[in-house]
Amino acid sequence: MRKIYIIAAVAFTFAACKPSVKISAPVSPGSATFTNYLAIGNSLTAGYADNTLYLTGQINSYPQRLFEQFSMITGDRGAKGPFIQPLLHGNDGYPGAKLIMGVSTNTCTGTSSLGPMSVPNYVADPLDANVYVSPVNNGQINNIGVPGIRIADYIVPGYASIFNPYAARFYADPAGTPMKELKTMVNNLYPTFFTFWLGANDVLGYASNGGQGRGADSAAPVFGDFYNPNDITPTYVFEKLYDSALKIASSTGASGALINIPDITSIPAFTTIPADGLFLVRQSQADSLNAFWHTSFPDISFKIGHNLFIIQDNAGQTRQAVPGELIILSSSILNNITCQGWGSYTPILKGSVLTTDEIQFIRTATARFNDFIEKEALKYNLAYVDMFTYLKTVAGGIAYNGIDYTAQYVSGGAFSLDGVHLTPRGYALVANEIIKTINAKYHSTIPYADVNRYNGVIFP
Amino acid sequence: MKRHFLAASLLLSAATSFGAGYQINLEGLRQVAMGGTGTAWPWDASTIFYNPGGLVRLKGIQAYTSVSLIMPYTAYGNQVNSGMNPTSVSSQPQTFTPFNVYIGGPVQENSRIALGLGIYTPAGNGLKWDDNWLGKYLVQSITLKAVCFQPTISYRVSDFLAVGAGFVYGTGSLDFSQAMPVHGQLGPGHDDGQAKLHGAADGVGFNIGAQFKLSEQLQFGLTYRSQVNMSISGGSANFKVPASLRDSFPNTRFDSQLPLPQVVSIGVGYRTGPWTLQLDLNYTGWNSFDSLRFNFEKHTSSLHNVHAPRHYHNTFTPRIGATYKINKVVAVMAGGAYDVTPVPNGFVSPELPDANRIVASCGVSVKPLPRFTILAAFESTTTVKRAATYDFGGFNGTYQTIAYTPGVGIYYNF
Repeated sequence: MRKIYIIAAVAFTFAACKPSVKISAPVSPGSATFTNYLAIGNSLTAGYADNTLYLTGQINSYPQRLFEQFSMITGDRGAKGPFIQPLLHGNDGYPGAKLIMGVSTNTCTGTSSLGPMSVPNYVADPLDANVYVSPVNNGQINNIGVPGIRIADYIVPGYASIFNPYAARFYADPAGTPMKELKTMVNNLYPTFFTFWLGANDVLGYASNGGQGRGADSAAPVFGDFYNPNDITPTYVFEKLYDSALKIASSTGASGALINIPDITSIPAFTTIPADGLFLVRQSQADSLNAFWHTSFPDISFKIGHNLFIIQDNAGQTRQAVPGELIILSSSILNNITCQGWGSYTPILKGSVLTTDEIQFIRTATARFNDFIEKEALKYNLAYVDMFTYLKTVAGGIAYNGIDYTAQYVSGGAFSLDGVHLTPRGYALVANEIIKTINAKYHSTIPYADVNRYNGVIFP
Repeated sequence: MKRHFLAASLLLSAATSFGAGYQINLEGLRQVAMGGTGTAWPWDASTIFYNPGGLVRLKGIQAYTSVSLIMPYTAYGNQVNSGMNPTSVSSQPQTFTPFNVYIGGPVQENSRIALGLGIYTPAGNGLKWDDNWLGKYLVQSITLKAVCFQPTISYRVSDFLAVGAGFVYGTGSLDFSQAMPVHGQLGPGHDDGQAKLHGAADGVGFNIGAQFKLSEQLQFGLTYRSQVNMSISGGSANFKVPASLRDSFPNTRFDSQLPLPQVVSIGVGYRTGPWTLQLDLNYTGWNSFDSLRFNFEKHTSSLHNVHAPRHYHNTFTPRIGATYKINKVVAVMAGGAYDVTPVPNGFVSPELPDANRIVASCGVSVKPLPRFTILAAFESTTTVKRAATYDFGGFNGTYQTIAYTPGVGIYYNF
């Protein structure tokens, strides 16, 4: 019997010891120094989401996530706070209302459904119109992402005061050029590490306006050095200004990461309404449409099921869309399709359609710009983050820590309700992709952010 | 267009099965104490499970019962997610009490026929993580239980050969919860959605065996336990989601199948003086799970049937054990096994973070009265630390499971 007691005693002793798999790889900066981190970029860098800029969006920007991870590096070369972002006060959007999920009633069908809608009774927070003043004496700002800014804008004098209220909020000299502002910020902060994500708006403006500008690398300034936002920035302008800005950003000898331009044609803003999104349930609907179009456009035909929309091509000619062409997502276009016969009895206007050739211009320009960015990374010996490929992979569907992400509008998880910018979760994924590249380039071991802690789309 | 706004995918990772992590080999304490060996030697009435052919070898009718306490802990560590604090998390303490009841033996002294009934728990285990842990969107908690009832007949063909067969009826349950990546204003960790599944399962199978007695010193055993396909019919699936998604995730019924795998075992036992040595080899047919399905009664644009591919390997498990009979009253046992995981890398989910298991065990039997025996056993199961990925859920990390299992039992010979 004594042995039984011994066994029982042993059992209780063992029960107290739990397994542990603490993996304590040291967090090392590798060959880079993260002490002073500067984020340079556009809306994606500012933390823009849901069609506007607002406080919690900024707090969840990828530069904020990167700073948090960089600060986990102990010792002299880890990031030191404070990390200053030009934060707004309000959460409903500046200068316009943000999109939220809500139930709204369709004006013509009378049906109520859950979907993105603007914050009801939006009133801008009065404090948000004020100029942002950095709490740190020398005017230090670590995230100088400006929604809407293009590489092409970098030598436009008065860019902040004339063209961009986001820049006007915090630029030290709103009458100067963004290039000059960058120099000021670099001098203030003296960054040891920077991220540089610019260039998307040099093609996005063209895409968002349905390719109604110059897409064939043939744009000319409309005045001075200012290009029409509907144009794709000419390659030589892009390359020259990108290089000038990068020269300033890296002038302190900082390490850094260049992030390339995402594939605009694979984001929900352009993929949610498919070219064959006209769904007919009855033969009589097809017959009426065929009768309607037959005389003037004998090529147009409809059947039960999925049909290609009627669109206006770039020359203003009416035709049926070709598979692969993209309809730009907006609530007004959705409403016009449902209620005004757009795409069926009335062509979808050319400003809302990306035709095959326009898509080609976007892809060609993006590829050219990205080739150049990759060369610049080599030239300046910086990390090159292939966000084009990564976000395309996300759009195609990935699982990350138990959550599925796709480019499905609303439910996809990574993209916010504007279909272009990201959710806090999406920005955390982006931060981790950047960290992965930084770790590879600088042999650092910066840990990844815990993506699951941050919001996706909020449901009421 | 409406449908685009409603979907929010439910990633029931569904690695759920009575897989290796849930199969517990505790059907007889003397066998447990000897590393799980027992196919060759008909020690007591628990041979109804270990080799039904051995039942007729018992001296008479025997009543046997035992209970064990499993206290499993699984630790998870992940270098890359330092958002977790601490970086190693442990599953929450839980205790399961698998039990066995056997009654049976030759119908009369020296009869060629023996009858018996076994009630045993081939699975009874679970894993409970913190509700807010890193892998919560895959699993928060899971419990799988099964009890098998096995009426058995055994026939002595000759002194050399005895055979036996049992019909197996299994009944059990599944309880599963995971967070869903849809949330309201408060955000993840505060108002995450949650899926809870509960279902009762049952299934049938059989257990057959042959016991070969070359001599009093040398005996062999061969058994085949069929798969028991535990099917869940009309289980309940309940979803806690933001109000606006209520219609997308209606509470509903579900069907599924969770098979207990088939096992072929061969064993040899050799007795010399006070020593008995045993060697067993189990071949477990895990690869009959090519996939796992959860079929929901109601479907919406967001709620689809879940179908998870599985690529389990069949496994060999060698087991070794020994008994040393100190005197007429007391014997001590020890043994060990190396249980190779059926789960290949890429399929290691936090519901079932399986890895190769090292089993070490010991025990004692005491016979204070001629007809009455007390058993005690202790088993320690430790998995090797396994760094692995679960590609279906984009989840990876390093796992280790340790389970200490004390058990006690008694039997009485009529």
